Amino acid sequence: MLRIYFGEKEDVMHGPSWFRFNYDEEWLADPFVEEMMTDIDKSHYKGGQLIESDVLGPIPPEKLSGGLQTLICIYKRPDLVFNATSCGENCAKWLIEIGRREDITVNLRYYMPFDDCGDIEIEILNENIKVTNAKDYMHEALKYV
Amino acid sequence: MKNKHHVVVESKRLKYEFDIKRNITVIQGDSASGKTTLLDLLGTHSRFGKESGISLQSDVPCVVFGGDAGLWKTILEAYQDSIVFIDEDYQFIYSKDFAELVQASSNYFVLITRQPLYNLPYSVQEIYGIRTTGKYHYPEQVYHEFYRIYNDSNEALDKEVLLLVEDSKSGYQFFSKACKQGECVSVEGNSQFVGRIEDAEENKKVIVIADGAAFGAYVAKVTTIAKSRKDVMLYFPESFEWLILKSGVIGIKDLDAILAEPEKYIESKEFFSWERYFTDLLITATADDSIKKYDKSQLKPYYIEGKNKDAIIAVLPEELRKIMG
Repeated sequence: MLRIYFGEKEDVMHGPSWFRFNYDEEWLADPFVEEMMTDIDKSHYKGGQLIESDVLGPIPPEKLSGGLQTLICIYKRPDLVFNATSCGENCAKWLIEIGRREDITVNLRYYMPFDDCGDIEIEILNENIKVTNAKDYMHEALKYV
Repeated sequence: MKNKHHVVVESKRLKYEFDIKRNITVIQGDSASGKTTLLDLLGTHSRFGKESGISLQSDVPCVVFGGDAGLWKTILEAYQDSIVFIDEDYQFIYSKDFAELVQASSNYFVLITRQPLYNLPYSVQEIYGIRTTGKYHYPEQVYHEFYRIYNDSNEALDKEVLLLVEDSKSGYQFFSKACKQGECVSVEGNSQFVGRIEDAEENKKVIVIADGAAFGAYVAKVTTIAKSRKDVMLYFPESFEWLILKSGVIGIKDLDAILAEPEKYIESKEFFSWERYFTDLLITATADDSIKKYDKSQLKPYYIEGKNKDAIIAVLPEELRKIMG
């Protein structure tokens, strides 16, 4: 399940810098990671350290977007809490999907809408409230950002 | 610093072109839209110049803050008359100390962040996303431009309205007198809009009027709640003083030119936001006239009655004009 703590919080990881120095190469070959990479970064993993971006051409993993890097960290290291503010609104459906696969906790410091993400189940840790639809989520989340 | 600054930064494969015209600009939007890449290009050019293979066209220096976050104040104070780009990774941009530095700075700041900056009075008009246009496939050059994320929204005002305004002073005094199709309420603070919109009765259409020049930190939340209710009209003029100036009820030399391009007249070091400039302009222009003298706390009858009131109403969007009189 996806758990979110809204607002400033200490001891949360900065996804892009954590990824840059700690990612495993095998993460990139994970079909789910490839799916996110195609959708968000319009990029495709080619093996080793090579990724092909539609915009930038051949790039190393360090040049993936901060949002995608953070999503990969959240997915692959559910034991850590990452600041998902690095993730734009186009990451919302993927954050929900990761929450369906793993128990994850993230920190958010802006209002990320989950309007078009299908069924949602989110625990808002500021008040330990569980929400199961986008409207309830909105009313709760707007209190804290 | 004054004026609008046109910036073009370009490599063989990437091109960004945009204008910066206020002391605070915010860039946000989707992941992978090119925000970090823009900073990479500018930072690399700043370090290596044209030898980097990156070209930069700008009439003022463009610099990217980097380095020790503990020394941010010392580093930023060293820049003068420049456009300073800062990434969201630096937490100091949310602090009061940073707001104080911006207020007294001759620099324009471009801040990349999705998190609201509650200590800074930035405009809803200066919150941008980045999008690509034209060809999109490597190795052809990809062109990036800025687009405004938040705009006014229109709504047919065909039933009783609840008009919400931020202040409890001149703006509220004007709109509470002018609104003829419902109630005008002061929410007494930008942070109160969301709760008041949520609590509004379902049988009323809600109108939000807020000073756009300083509403940037709140616009995302208000727009979100407005969309969910589906019957909320959002109107963000620069400020109530801007409406008065735009109406022509006060004669000021070169006023049309000032309102057409305020950036040519507003020195960032003197005015934290355009809202403050327009207030200052109005107060100064009417200081010696007891009938017109503008006082934010108590609006003179000159502005609320007769043809002057009609002239101010005439500046409003068409739907709003219909419910005023």
